[in-house]
Amino acid sequence: MRRRIIGALAGVTTTLFLAGCATNAPQDTWQPKGPNAQKIDNLQKPVFAVAGIIGVIVTVAIIVAVIKFRDKGQPIPHQSHGNPALEITLTIIPALILTVVGVFTFRTVFDLAKTSDTEMIINVTGQQWWWEYDYPVQNEFGITQPIITSGQLVIPAGTKVLLRQTSRDVIHSYWIPALNGKRDAVPGRVHLNRIEADKPGIYAGQCTEFCGLSHANMRMEAVALSKEDFAKWVANQLKPYTPPAENTLAKEGETVFMNQCIRCHQVNGMKRADGTPVIAAPDENVVSGAAPNLSHLMTRNTFAGATFDLLNKSCREDVWNADSESFGAKYLTGVTEDCLNQSDLRGWLRNAPAMKPMYANPALLASTGGKYRGMPNLGLTESDIEKLVAYLLTLK
Amino acid sequence: MFSTGSKYFFGISVLGAVSFAVYMLLIGESAIGATALFGLVAAAGLLTALVLFTRDGDAGEEGVAASTAAPTPSMWPLIGAIGAALLLVGTITSAVVTLLGIVVLLAALVEWTVLSWSERASSDASYNASLRKRLLNPIEFPVLAAVGLGVVIFSFSRVTLAVEKSVGATAFIVVGALVLAAGVLFSLRPNLKRGIVIGVCVIGAVALVAAGIAGLGVGVREELVLAKEEGHYTHQECGAEESEHFDKLPLEVISATASVDSTISLVDGKLVASVQGIAGEQNSITIPRSNPTNIVFYNASEGEYRLVANLGKKMVTDGVNEDVIQCTQLIPQGAKQLLTLTIPKPAMAGKPYTLTVPGLAGQSIEVIVP
Repeated sequence: MRRRIIGALAGVTTTLFLAGCATNAPQDTWQPKGPNAQKIDNLQKPVFAVAGIIGVIVTVAIIVAVIKFRDKGQPIPHQSHGNPALEITLTIIPALILTVVGVFTFRTVFDLAKTSDTEMIINVTGQQWWWEYDYPVQNEFGITQPIITSGQLVIPAGTKVLLRQTSRDVIHSYWIPALNGKRDAVPGRVHLNRIEADKPGIYAGQCTEFCGLSHANMRMEAVALSKEDFAKWVANQLKPYTPPAENTLAKEGETVFMNQCIRCHQVNGMKRADGTPVIAAPDENVVSGAAPNLSHLMTRNTFAGATFDLLNKSCREDVWNADSESFGAKYLTGVTEDCLNQSDLRGWLRNAPAMKPMYANPALLASTGGKYRGMPNLGLTESDIEKLVAYLLTLK
Repeated sequence: MFSTGSKYFFGISVLGAVSFAVYMLLIGESAIGATALFGLVAAAGLLTALVLFTRDGDAGEEGVAASTAAPTPSMWPLIGAIGAALLLVGTITSAVVTLLGIVVLLAALVEWTVLSWSERASSDASYNASLRKRLLNPIEFPVLAAVGLGVVIFSFSRVTLAVEKSVGATAFIVVGALVLAAGVLFSLRPNLKRGIVIGVCVIGAVALVAAGIAGLGVGVREELVLAKEEGHYTHQECGAEESEHFDKLPLEVISATASVDSTISLVDGKLVASVQGIAGEQNSITIPRSNPTNIVFYNASEGEYRLVANLGKKMVTDGVNEDVIQCTQLIPQGAKQLLTLTIPKPAMAGKPYTLTVPGLAGQSIEVIVP
């Protein structure tokens, strides 16, 4: 019996240990891809080693003591009180270790908090359960008008990017392990978080502050492009809205969008037949007051708070696995009809709450005055969905 | 098989499991409720196993005979009855009284239960008393300290609200200095008579509580009453200044200064913005839609000025629109005021949202809502 228990424990321990050796782990904290994350890595590896050695020593000592001195009916040994030399030694050693760790930790903390050499600024706003990114005017990067997007944060590689983080509803936490540590996004406050990617690529992250029902689905991806590719991305985001051609399925989809989706989702530049601009009113329908802006949606690879992929599996793998030289061109291709993840997008339009837990059941919204947390089931017909997909594909 | 302690935790586990099942069946799937109950079952189960494994920490092996003496008289039943009475009275008067009743009742129950248990723990009364102290003192001392601190803070706050602002500040300094002096004296003279120390403390406490009661009787000073009547804490005026009693330096509130997105300064007749995290002066600020954003207006120019946020128009009735504006108070040179903007929609093309100062032509900060 004892052998079986020991065998089982050894098996579980080995499995857990080996699980930490996975190489294809996009949110691995041990694989820094930028100078900020590298600073953390430089600190955490030695600290982990020291803590690990101490942990092993203490664990072995406890196990030995428990086994060797277990109750076998022997008399209680002589009880002594106080051993100044031992106590001082055992106080000084941890104090010295903590002092050394503390010095390097403080240095790293201050290094990471430095913002004076910031090159680019992006405002990041958390909301249940997605992230919004808006780029203030920055002429040096060709951003002559504010850009707004969500799901994927696009940055130029090798650039010190300062994220000004806040939240519309509850506390969230922004964390892309490969680029930096985590930083809370708190309502009413602006927290600064700097990231920088060494090379072009996609870096995955996850909200790390429990923020409600779909916290686990509140993902984020930072996309680093070369400076030239970033300029192309900016230029594309600044392109004015192009309505679909008349008498096409996409044009019918635009009408469905204006009747349904525009209640919450903004598409910049969209106009009604009479020429008046179409302004979404998420503040009237969503508790937190906003919904993802869908301008140039098909330049992103994800939707619904980066929970689902806009690209189908093979196209997505093609982008994710691209080397840094070819990555930019592949990413900037965006989502074509052939690469569109039809299944998830149609499923989302058919019944969003069935795919991602959200407070979107009209019968249960008395406490919020009928306002949703997340996207409701709009009751769209299959025909409407067909038209909408055709329309969304035009948002390049 | 089951030890005495394990039965207790096993009972909680079973009760929790039944509650969990009933909850899932009758109330339905709820992430928070189900998780809480499941957590209770898991925690109680773990404790059951732990207590079983340690056989109640070998508590029965101390070899001290159980007491057969009658319990000593106690005040706790009486206090518990008072708590129950408060609880009942509170249900028809005020929630605060109910809460007080619950606290008193719970305190009496815990104290009485532990007292009764400790008195029967052994035949040695002094050992029983030490057992009770060991269990309850770690709870009693912090709770009593917190209550004492609460009484001091509440009493002193009544005094400072009743007297003039400068008098309140002076009283705070004087009382603080006296407390510090007494503390230093007591520590330097450890042989001081116990009666003197207790006497000084009691006199000080009684004086403070008496002053608090007196302050409560007098009420808050007129300036604060008038300021409240003027609604200064809830609105900012955009027209002619009508209010007289307002705090001219409201940013002394720590929470306000800790949550600022940007500061708009009026310096030498020029309006400039400094945005947190962005170096240098800006002529525009970008804020997310529908997100309460705190902006500080700092008047560094001579004279009284206010900041006005021009946030477009809104339709009040069919075909009738009115300007949406938000303003700070008129504030004197050197003063700051906070303006919280929540803008639900982007501005229409060609009609940007702006921050301006009335009477100051050609100066504005654009507010961009993407």
